[in-house]
Amino acid sequence: MLTSTLRTLAGAAILAVMTIPPALAQQKPAAKPDPRVAMGGYHPERMDSKGLAPHATPITITAPENIPVNRLQVPPGFKVELWAHGSPGARMMARGDKGTVFQGSRAIGRVYAIREKDGKRVSQIIAEKLVQPNGVLFHNGSLYVAAINKVLRYDDIENNLDSIPTPVDMTEAFKLPPEVHHNWKFLALGPDGKIYIQVGSPCNLCEINPGVHGQIRRYNLDGSGMEIVARGVRNSVGFDFHPQTGELWFTDNGRDWAGEDVFEEELNRVPADKIGGHFGFPYCHANGQPDPDIRVPNACANVILPVITLGAHAAALGMRFYTGKMFPSEYQGAVIVARRGSWNRTVKNGYDVLRVNATADGKNPKVTPLVTGFLDKEKNAFWGRPVDVMQMPDGSMLVADEQNGAIYRVSYGK
Amino acid sequence: MQLHHPARRDFRRAFFILALLALCGTAMAQPRGDAARGAVKAAACAACHGPEGRAPLPGMPALAGQQREFLETQLVLLREGLRNIPGMEGLLRQFNDRDLIDIAAYYSAAKPFTESGIRDPQKHAAGAAVSQGRACGSCHLSDYGGQRGIPRIINQREDYLAATLKAYRDDRRVGSDTNMNALMYGLGDQEIEALAHYLAHR
Repeated sequence: MLTSTLRTLAGAAILAVMTIPPALAQQKPAAKPDPRVAMGGYHPERMDSKGLAPHATPITITAPENIPVNRLQVPPGFKVELWAHGSPGARMMARGDKGTVFQGSRAIGRVYAIREKDGKRVSQIIAEKLVQPNGVLFHNGSLYVAAINKVLRYDDIENNLDSIPTPVDMTEAFKLPPEVHHNWKFLALGPDGKIYIQVGSPCNLCEINPGVHGQIRRYNLDGSGMEIVARGVRNSVGFDFHPQTGELWFTDNGRDWAGEDVFEEELNRVPADKIGGHFGFPYCHANGQPDPDIRVPNACANVILPVITLGAHAAALGMRFYTGKMFPSEYQGAVIVARRGSWNRTVKNGYDVLRVNATADGKNPKVTPLVTGFLDKEKNAFWGRPVDVMQMPDGSMLVADEQNGAIYRVSYGK
Repeated sequence: MQLHHPARRDFRRAFFILALLALCGTAMAQPRGDAARGAVKAAACAACHGPEGRAPLPGMPALAGQQREFLETQLVLLREGLRNIPGMEGLLRQFNDRDLIDIAAYYSAAKPFTESGIRDPQKHAAGAAVSQGRACGSCHLSDYGGQRGIPRIINQREDYLAATLKAYRDDRRVGSDTNMNALMYGLGDQEIEALAHYLAHR
């Protein structure tokens, strides 16, 4: 406890010096937010009576017979099939050079490896007892795993799956803050060879210390050279780099407890000349809407607005640009994004995979469904929750379903 | 470090049983979990939690009538050592996912426990105010009976409720997410004890 507090103080001090004016550099690290604010401002009346509560993810095995993949719908010419199962709570995906698919998780604390063994595709636990090891990244033979306040690197992992080596502990170098809420990580490797990682805002809605929280950062591979790439980010759990411009695009989830249709999730772009720019949280949401509870003058001034909004409470998480050859031409360069689905909305929405087409500078966005059928709109009930997408070498896309610990493969053509 | 885990065994066994069911031509939608099978497995739990999970011992939670999905999640967290209760990890390591699902089915079907202590009107009112302020009913519903992954908190043992809420406040307890830690933050012991009294004596 003491160590983590010291670490936070040290981290905050370094960040403060690097990123904010001296007058603010004395600012204390973010205190744990007032729970009433954390849950959405001083409006308990909004929370009563409707029975809205987060849907706890099952963390027991779902047998393939109980995964109704035939209910999934894809556009004509596409096919969707069950590709892997047996990894309870599995979330973000990374693929090794030899074809192993690694998956992080949250509550269940595990990292999985999915591979072909003796002619069968099997799911194996390669790490456990971690605190929400959501972020996974594969680079140069190594698997990077980011838990809430831990960064681990498993070297030469694909040659050692039968005897997992002790990982290199890179935690000290990355200096991530200890707050748990909204701080499960997403990892990506930028075209600049740097590791991109987010530090979420540890609340639903609160004032945050901009020197510590609400950021997307990039680091050298060894955890040195930290830079802040985006600020005012509430809770991003997905990003990728534009195949032509190399610019960072990311999803971000809007605050809860403000109403059925506010505030929408965002798909954002960090223009190359606005590295370190502000994306609004907690003052300005979605397409430039000021927060009703934390009010400041000109809440949306100088805020970088989203390429497009992706629905209120729908939880747009993992996203990748499609660069494969398998799908039709309208998919080239499009964003494929998984929406985990809502809990803070009486009429459920999300629970699907979308395609977003836009120009390289984020203009003319257009949304088209790619995979639907996880949600039964008539019954207002869901059976699956897509959380991440990943392109395979043959151009097919994998979709991770956290609810069932399963992966589906979406392909096109014969 | 090669990790072996009951979860993998479990899957093979579950598959075998499903295949058998299919062969018999009886594979149809079943309620989740086998409470009768769970009752046999739960014999290991009775020493502390009491027959049918009716909590005869101080500090031991009542499991009877608890939400099934909540129990499943907690049993896995305990088995994995993520929710660290001395003795529970060792006890539960023998059970695979299906065993835990059956145990959860057994306890959730049992008639709910009722706290028998004496109600203190002043403490009760103070607890009601705390509950109102934290909007407990939003997730646990207005009767505090819980829903799916959200536990039933009405009529739980008062001592257990108080200890659990303090553990959430002090970050000594994990749940399926972090909302309870955030919600208990800043409450004093007296407020938490009043809240526990209120919930135990609804």
